[in-house]
Order: sequence, then C-alpha cells, then structure tokens
Amino acid sequence: MRLLKTLIPGDIAAGLALTGKYFGKVFFSANRKKVRAHLKHFTQEYPEIPVRLAPRFRGRLTLLKDEQGEIKCVCCLACEKICPTQVITIEKGKMEGRKMPYPVRYDFEMERCIFCEFCVESCGFDSIILNHQFELAAYNREDFSLGMEGLGQNMFAPSPVGKYSVAED
Amino acid sequence: MFKSEEMEINLGPQHPSTHGVLRVKLRLDGETVVKCTPVIGYLHRGLEKICENKTYFQGQVWTDRMDYVAAISNNLGWVEGVEKLFGIETPRRARYIRTMLTEMNRIASHLLWLATHALDIGAMTVFLYAFRERELLLDLFEAFCGARLTTTAFRIGGLREDLPPGFVKQARAFQAIFPERLEEYETLLSENRIWKKRTVGVARINAEDCIALGVTGPVLRAAGVPYDIRKAFPSAAYAEMDFEIPTRPEADTYARYLVRLAEMRQSHRIIQQCLDGLPEGPVMAKIPKILKSEVNEVYHAIEAPKGELGYYFVGEKGGVNPYRMHVRAPSFVNLQALPKMIEGRLLADVIAAIGTLDVVLGEIDR
Repeated sequence: MRLLKTLIPGDIAAGLALTGKYFGKVFFSANRKKVRAHLKHFTQEYPEIPVRLAPRFRGRLTLLKDEQGEIKCVCCLACEKICPTQVITIEKGKMEGRKMPYPVRYDFEMERCIFCEFCVESCGFDSIILNHQFELAAYNREDFSLGMEGLGQNMFAPSPVGKYSVAED
Repeated sequence: MFKSEEMEINLGPQHPSTHGVLRVKLRLDGETVVKCTPVIGYLHRGLEKICENKTYFQGQVWTDRMDYVAAISNNLGWVEGVEKLFGIETPRRARYIRTMLTEMNRIASHLLWLATHALDIGAMTVFLYAFRERELLLDLFEAFCGARLTTTAFRIGGLREDLPPGFVKQARAFQAIFPERLEEYETLLSENRIWKKRTVGVARINAEDCIALGVTGPVLRAAGVPYDIRKAFPSAAYAEMDFEIPTRPEADTYARYLVRLAEMRQSHRIIQQCLDGLPEGPVMAKIPKILKSEVNEVYHAIEAPKGELGYYFVGEKGGVNPYRMHVRAPSFVNLQALPKMIEGRLLADVIAAIGTLDVVLGEIDR
C-alpha cells in the first residue's frame, strides 16, 4: 500500500511539467541566436567569446607609465607597507634628469598576492593599478616573480596564457 | 552463528557531503548511530594569530577567508568591531550600502546552502537553479568591489568607493525576479514527498539544548526562539529597517528549511528598503592614516547567515595591531549540536544533519 502511494504519478508529473517548461524555454531560445543579454543566459562560451568583467575587477598588478613613457612610481613605499602579504619589494634609485626617485627594482611576488587592491588604494600618485588579466597560470614557480624586466612575465607584458582575457580599457 | 558488534567508521574528511574537510567519527550499531564525534582542524591556518601581527587595516583581508561563502558579513563584523574600538562614526549612506550588501550576501549564502543541502539529500535540480540566482548576486559583488568571493568590500570608516554606475538598476532587476524564483524552489521542494520524508522530524534539537550549546542563527530560530542580532543589537542600518524574524516551532530539518526560505524573503525586503531609501552623502568618514589604540577591549557581534559572528579585540597602548583577536564563529559553535541531533538515529540522517547545520569549514578551523 505504501509503495503504491509512493508510486502515484501526481508528484512525478508535477515535477516533470516544470522540467518540461524549462526544457522548452531553453530548446526554443538557445543556439538559435546568440543572445547574451543579462538575466537570459547564464552560461558563457568563455574561451571562444571573451568574458565581460566589471570595470572594478581586480586582476594582476601593473605599473603605469605617463605620457612620456616614464614610470610614474616615485618610490614612496606606501604599497610595500600596506600590503598584507608583503609581495612588493621596491629599490630606490636616481635617474638623470628626473627630480623624483625612480624605482630601480619593483618586484611583485604574484604567488602570494591576494588581490585585495590595498596597494592601489594607498598609492598617492596613481602609479599602479590592478588590470583585468585573470588567466595567470604558469608552469614554473619562478614565473610568478614579476619584475620590471624579465623573459617570462614582466609587469608590462600580458600574461603568457592570457589569450582570452578582455582587452584593457 | 551471527555475531553482532558495534562498528566505527569515518565520514569524511574527503566525503563530498561533509561540505569541506569535516571528519565525523561514527560508532554504528547496524545502521543506527550510537556515538558521533566531529573531528576538526584540517583547514587550520591560524587566522587569529595572523591578525594579531597585522594592522587593523590589513587584518580585514583574512576575514574573507573564514566563511568564504559569506565574506561580506565577515567584513562587516571586522570593520564595525574596529570602528567600535576607535569610536569612529560611519556616514549614513555607507551604513545603508553595507546593510544592502550584507543582506545580498545572506541570500547568496542561503542559496548555496539550499543548493548543496538539496543535492546531499538527492534533489539535483535545485542545485542548478539556486546557483543561477547566486550568480546574479556575485555579479553585483564584482561590480561593487571587483571580486566575487574574497570581497574585502568595506573599509574602516565607510566604503572605499560609492556604488558603481548601473548598480542600482542591476540590483532592482534582481529584486524583480527573485520572489518568483523563490516560489519555484518551493514548488520543487516544499511539498515534495521524498524531500519531506528525508527532512520532517529528522535531526531534532529543542530550544533548551540549542541555548545550552550556544547554537545561534536559523537553527535556533527553527526551534522557536526569536533571537536575531539584527533586532537585539542592531548595527549598520538595521535599526531603520522594517523586517520580521521568521521562527518555527518544530525544530527539525524541514523547519530549518522553511526558516531559511523565509529569511531570504526578509532579506529581499531589507534590500528593497535600502534601495528605495538610499540617502545621499559621503561614504567615507575622516579617519587617521594610522590607527593607534588605547588599552581597550571590544566585542562586536553581527548576524551572519550562519548565526552570531562575533569579533573580540584587545588593544594595547599605542599598538597598531590588536594585542588579541578572537572570532566567535557561528559554524564552530553550531557544529556542537551535531552529536545531539543524530545520536540514536540512522546513518542517512547524518548527511541531512550536517547539511541543515550549514557549516563552513573555513570558519570552523580558521
């Protein structure tokens, strides 16, 4: 008797009706035209179509340059001090024809970075940002040590695996 | 001919339905649980000790990593605790935005709970539906602060930036569709016979036991105790909000399911009130660059999705970092109720009980 009660198809039919409703919705809309409007489709064809990121997205740390192509950083060490995981190391230096100090070395250990953006917030000269690159995987541990120069990854070059990242804006 | 003896088995720490790395030692008599001992500590990172070596500004990033599905609630507890310690007044607009985001996070956390709890018990569809709505909320978090999970959303003294353009419109779009989606989950579960068989009367814990064990949050409210920190000790803008505390008298898994669904509706109401009554003005108070404390101690609690989340700070004279920081994590305290809930019941109910407690191991082990 109990088994018979469990097998009454009312609940099953109600459940299947809802499933069918959604199947119909998806079947008649998806793959016909590539509508990617908000609230309509939830899956993105990510590697083929670059993802849309929010303007405030926190990606990899990058040094900015001014119009003359010079690095804006003046070695105030505010970012080095505020960083909760101590991933930034700056070495001060002098450059010919420049009043402000110039970073000889600006090392960024990405393996420990937690992408909190405290460094950008602390910078009084707008000389660093977190860009929109999120494909930051690498094969070797050394590749996570970023500097101003370098073969694998450096601050200014895009990530070597970042083929699909969104363009800078 | 047949020998009967008790058997000891391990549930976890790699079992998918223990929600992380929870290990439960079970002593079984046939299929009945005789004794249950939760074993924790597999995710211990020493967060409290780390925070004692960081400044009050820096420590906030570690709170994201405690309850990683409700990072904004953790941020709120930290910043408000520090503001209490230093007597900082936050602008009204910042408090409204904080309230709104915390309630969004409560919905996101409860949706994740609903998804995984239903999946544990055997309802696969709800999992996909709930994650779909959670995605909308994570998009809102990303628009506001740039990250989906490890948000670091608030700052001591207010917010880093105001709401981004288009945020209110996007939030209203979510508000418009969410009640109807919530009803959809109810059509899938509330009257579902399999769901009711797995949850009604399962993992009971009465109000006295809850209070004796220090259990808070939806588990306590499903036992009929209308205790909510948002009403009892209102912080942020909760004093200006109009909402109810849903309670149920049954104290079983099904009651906790209904309470959490009702809480999502109340959170939806609070978000609507925040969006409608969002005041104009600055979002950041004037605070010094370096916070140096006096000899002082502060305990500040907020209502996290899992229960009472409390931060305890002890400041030393002239110190830029807390002398002692302790977290009263709701999952850690709520997990104590597990043996009480399932001893003497069947092995299959253990999964339902772990799911209904809504524990996050990042918060338990810290």
